[in-house]
Amino acid sequence: MMQYKPLLIVAALALAGCTATQDVKRTQEPAAAAFQLPAYEKVTLDNGLTVFLMQQKEVPLITVNAVVRAGAVNDTSAGISALTAEGLMLGSAGKSKRDIENQVDFLGASLSAEAGKEGSYISAKFMAKDLDTMLPLFADVLLRPDFDATEFDKLKQREVGGLIQAKESPRAVVGNYFGKLVYGEHPYGNASGGNSESVAALTQQQVRAFYKGFYQPNNTSISVVGDFDVADMKTHLSRTFGAWRSDAAPQQQSLKQGLPVLEKSRVLLVDKPDAMETTFLIGGMGISEDNPDAVGLTVVNTILGGRFTSWLNDELRVNAGLTYGARSGFASYRDSGLFQISTFTKTDTTEAAIDLALKTYARLWEQGIDQATLDSAKAYVKGQFPPKFETSGQLAGLLSDMYLYGFDNSYINDFERKVDSLTLEETQRLINTYFPKDKLQFVLIGNAAKVAPIAAKYGEVTQVNIKDVGFGG
Amino acid sequence: MKRTLSALALAMGLAMAPMMSQATTAADIKSFTLDNGMKIMVLEDASIPNANMYLFWKVGSRNEAPGITGISHFFEHMMFNGSKKYGPKMFDRTMEAAGGANNAYTTENLTVYTDWFPASGLETIFDLEADRIANLDINADMVESERGVVTSERSTGLENSNIRVLMEELKGVAFRAHPYSWPVIGHESDIAAWTLNDLVQYHKTYYAPNNAVVVIAGDVKLAEVKSLANKYFAPIPAQAPPREVKTVEPLQKGERRTFIHKPSASTPNVMMAYHVPATSHEDYYALELLAGILSAGNSSRLYQSMVDSQLALEADTYFPMSFDPNLFYLYAVGAPGVKADALEQELIAQTNRIAAEGVTEQELEKIKNIKLMDFYRAMETINGKANTLGTYELFFGSFDKLFNAPEAYNKVSTADIQRVAQTYLKRANRSVAVLSAEEEMDK
Repeated sequence: MMQYKPLLIVAALALAGCTATQDVKRTQEPAAAAFQLPAYEKVTLDNGLTVFLMQQKEVPLITVNAVVRAGAVNDTSAGISALTAEGLMLGSAGKSKRDIENQVDFLGASLSAEAGKEGSYISAKFMAKDLDTMLPLFADVLLRPDFDATEFDKLKQREVGGLIQAKESPRAVVGNYFGKLVYGEHPYGNASGGNSESVAALTQQQVRAFYKGFYQPNNTSISVVGDFDVADMKTHLSRTFGAWRSDAAPQQQSLKQGLPVLEKSRVLLVDKPDAMETTFLIGGMGISEDNPDAVGLTVVNTILGGRFTSWLNDELRVNAGLTYGARSGFASYRDSGLFQISTFTKTDTTEAAIDLALKTYARLWEQGIDQATLDSAKAYVKGQFPPKFETSGQLAGLLSDMYLYGFDNSYINDFERKVDSLTLEETQRLINTYFPKDKLQFVLIGNAAKVAPIAAKYGEVTQVNIKDVGFGG
Repeated sequence: MKRTLSALALAMGLAMAPMMSQATTAADIKSFTLDNGMKIMVLEDASIPNANMYLFWKVGSRNEAPGITGISHFFEHMMFNGSKKYGPKMFDRTMEAAGGANNAYTTENLTVYTDWFPASGLETIFDLEADRIANLDINADMVESERGVVTSERSTGLENSNIRVLMEELKGVAFRAHPYSWPVIGHESDIAAWTLNDLVQYHKTYYAPNNAVVVIAGDVKLAEVKSLANKYFAPIPAQAPPREVKTVEPLQKGERRTFIHKPSASTPNVMMAYHVPATSHEDYYALELLAGILSAGNSSRLYQSMVDSQLALEADTYFPMSFDPNLFYLYAVGAPGVKADALEQELIAQTNRIAAEGVTEQELEKIKNIKLMDFYRAMETINGKANTLGTYELFFGSFDKLFNAPEAYNKVSTADIQRVAQTYLKRANRSVAVLSAEEEMDK
């Protein structure tokens, strides 16, 4: 669907630190009570299905999310997890794709499925009064997909078209190139969605086999959040999902094996001859989801590139006017993760922007963080935390992540305490331990004729054309 | 305890969910107007320990003229770049140190500033906003670096979005008199050209309390908001109201076309637009429902006839709220191998079909359910609440109009939808933009 967004000034960027000596006054002390996750129940059914229930009564809506531990990292053929997830919507239990869409839309509801790096997500949102229609429909889609042959071929064509079209927007694909550059042949390098050639070759049989292998109750959690009676909902869920049976243990390989060791700086130059600007990422290895220092790193990254007044945005945007936005962040997976700095600039200022980004990044080691900046970043991450868990959809997503990554509510309930306890000395340890200092990896998407001469300055260059199938490597 | 919003939902009144028995009263929303004309609305909601402040200013690209196109949006950037008490950079630094974040956006009609903060930061936010409203200090160096930022914003939008390219061209064709003709971000040469004095005048003219609507939603109390508003906003003097936009776009007397050649486009994109009345017009609700019947969900007419039939990868409508008569857009991205002409003809066929045959009662009921669901989604967050209230206040003349919406939507019949399709979605009123790698051939 076309989402037309008005021009946002401040981009969805966000954090910043004043390294200047100005003393930022705290006019208000933060509220005393730490933000706590609303009460919820976790139940495991006899068949191994994990169920989360959380009541939220503000609006008469219910969100139901299922997450299956299967994603691009499990792709035996590139794109199969994505095509399997989207294939769930092609008809089930004898109802056609069209029947399901008509029924869902008529209730004003939504029902969708997609796969990411490590999970496949099926999500429904509907009015509480429509539970008796929507929950069985959700179960049909998840448990009884038909993978209708005609619809499957149509979906495949649309996916291939979408993968080709995505290359028209550097912003939409730069992350896939970066993942491939860093992880190479390791499963974490697999782009969610695959590539236009691999998807075109996928068969119905492959998708059925992938479904059978992974979509099992002992490999799935269902989170229900919204306006319902908990005891009633438990009965509903047991009745609806209790008879679902596991065929076999899903084949999950350990992804801790074979992780890359980055031995030198490399540059992947992706040529888009008509580009007006260069879109680029710089970074390296990050942290896995279960890293105990994740909260502290959120605070440090806030200062570097996580808010509007962050060092990167302040230098590249505010001081230099080189870009509309510059940021940095950690993308964490179950057993590994990435760190990346991202921005874009007009072709002629590519070198200036990369150099300034690197120079700004080096401040982590050269200057470190001062107390006023740390205090500000702490207040900021605490203040911006509760709105991340406001809607039933956000809360259901959090519960799904708890299942997928194996953390519990202490992540939320201890968040403020962990932020508060971060000291200046500790930030230095975090910087020295986790932020990649050298052997940086670069992806530049832009006009190679103009950018190639400077790319070699940053590492060993590989050049591909943006229209080449896949994401380099 | 979260307050339930069933009252407001009833007010929207697209449908009556059985569990909603509360009668609605305007008392759910508190509002007051300061002596300087600034209207402030408050919605108390303690569901999370946060609050927001949305400031809607009645200035957008419709208030511009050639030579200063894009200045409303540029000005939005300048509002973050220093004032008397909080100099350059200090607005953001102060807000973030208090746990707050902000953003802003500019449209054809409005400039909207959004502050999100822990409820404890309320006074800091009032102080920051009052300072930049009353005492903006436009710094010449900041203006120069901000030109680079906005030029980057403009080019990155065009670089990454064919929709942005199409819309910019299409508006230029559809409007030849009204300021809706140019993109909100402005022409590139204008971004490079306006002067410090242009900006100073702009602030004085449009950033007056009598030209604003403020909404605060979240974990706040009315009494506290009132006292802070009196302390910080009330002393800011009112200004003479800005000049009204009086240009009326002349009646379009035949189809207009534009073509964008983009060799790297993987498939053609088509956008078309029809002139429609302002949001305040009685046909607004019927057009809004028509847009939904065309494009909301996979059962919609455009999805079924274009995406499901493998003609398009996407097909959608866009119908923005607007102070002056504006456009009703349709848009499609071709599937591989599909020609622009086939996309265009199918979009036209779908609009003509509704004009000729109307829509079904079931489609009408469906779209009303979708609208109700949209409303509930908006009301799940304090941001959605602030935005909805502000929007009603501005585009319908008063947030009280929220309480007329039930009737307005329920009054729309299938005959009304057919009538608006016949009235507006016709060839003589249409402008078409095609973006493609293939040059259109001379016949």
